[in-house]
Amino acid sequence: MKSRLFMVILLGGFFLISVLSFPGFTQNPNISWKRSSPETQPDLQLFHSPHSIDLPTATTLQKWDVEFEISHRFIPPTSVGINGFYGLDGPVNMRIALGLALNNRSIITLGRSNFNDNIDLTLKYKIFEIRNNALPVLIAARAGGAWNSNPAYIQIIGRDKTNSRNFQAFGQVILNTMIRNKLGIGIVPSYLYNTDIRFEDKTKDTFRLGLNAQYYVGQFWSLLIEYTPYISGYRSLTDQKHNPLSFGIELETGGHFFKIFLSNSKFLNSSQFLAGADLPVENNDWRLGFMITRLLKFGKKI
Amino acid sequence: MYRSLKFLFFTIIVAFNLLLSAEYQVDHSRENVVKFISHAPMDDFEGVTDKIDGYIYWEGDNLLNKSDMYFEVDLNSIDTGIGLRNRHMRDNYLETDQYPYTHFKGKLTKAEKVSENEYKVTAEGKMYIHGVEKDITVEGNMTALDSSYHITTQFVTALSDYKIKIPQLMFFKINENMQLELDFYVKKIEKN
Repeated sequence: MKSRLFMVILLGGFFLISVLSFPGFTQNPNISWKRSSPETQPDLQLFHSPHSIDLPTATTLQKWDVEFEISHRFIPPTSVGINGFYGLDGPVNMRIALGLALNNRSIITLGRSNFNDNIDLTLKYKIFEIRNNALPVLIAARAGGAWNSNPAYIQIIGRDKTNSRNFQAFGQVILNTMIRNKLGIGIVPSYLYNTDIRFEDKTKDTFRLGLNAQYYVGQFWSLLIEYTPYISGYRSLTDQKHNPLSFGIELETGGHFFKIFLSNSKFLNSSQFLAGADLPVENNDWRLGFMITRLLKFGKKI
Repeated sequence: MYRSLKFLFFTIIVAFNLLLSAEYQVDHSRENVVKFISHAPMDDFEGVTDKIDGYIYWEGDNLLNKSDMYFEVDLNSIDTGIGLRNRHMRDNYLETDQYPYTHFKGKLTKAEKVSENEYKVTAEGKMYIHGVEKDITVEGNMTALDSSYHITTQFVTALSDYKIKIPQLMFFKINENMQLELDFYVKKIEKN
């Protein structure tokens, strides 16, 4: 009787082992495999593009990504009407720039605007991130220097091109958040050194507070607006006395961003834009502008 | 005495079962490559990762005997060469916040020896992508090395089968069919 019971237990055990070995079960008990590493955590990015319009975002690129930018600001305002094709007949202020992601956190960019032949070199660095489903936060800093290599102002004709008064510097702290993956909000306190290069005696500095928002309507397009009011320091009372305001749409693809917008500013490089805008928004007069950026990666087919 | 005998028998059976079994796990010390290839007129690209994990199991000398396999790929690790496109792939297509892994679970159903160390194999099972599971059959090669196997396979998968929507926007079209290429190594796990 006991030996029969023993056989039943033995066969039962064997049967159990064999049945549990069948692949239909969650995992074969003879298998010791366990996931060897945790799930990859991609870098936190909030705004899709590294730029709003004239303000930067805290978004960075992937290491060794190269970003080519071309921007236009049509100088005649939209009020010229159909005769000037709403400003599109030009002339234009334009900027071209090339950025390189030194790593996943920092981008160095060299740009040039035809206005004063302003050449700027900037470095943006992502300092801090808070991963939070409700209110993620990215904080970055951006600093740069600009050389007005051929200023057009009549007052300073004759000044040596490399005169120190032709150089400017700026610094920005970029705070970004994103609500429900739809609404990006940015606050960008900005400081500009040597706001107006026309002064011969001493430098003037300006503080502004950049504010920008972007609503991602669909996977590939969004609405964006930015406003950069004056806070303190020097403010031009003539040609750049207004607070820059721009708004438009952004389209994005696998490697491009296209922005088309209206702005009260004709300036593109940061050291010029932060000095102030030239058109009063009260007159409802705007300039058309666009920015195209293309991401490239050398050595890889994209 | 009787209880000791029972325990001995049971131990022998378990040990016998383990001796005949062979479990091979992905060898992370080797160069493993998983490629997702999309051919499209305006946006021809490759996504590459080495984050493949899993096992293949059989008992005895026959690869088909009690065959079992599970392989998964960490989709957040796919690199298409451009950070922005990686983000599009993660957020817009694969939705990796909800479905971070793709996996294949199945078994070998055919194993034809084509040379001393090489087998042409067929696996059948379920492919899981984007929250959708689908029966598939794939063919590949297994080459025996010292205590490991080199596995290669490639197959095409239709994104619509896995409810992955393809946007139709100017300048941006990806192919409905994505080619997957896997080239990786598994090594034998020694049982204690």
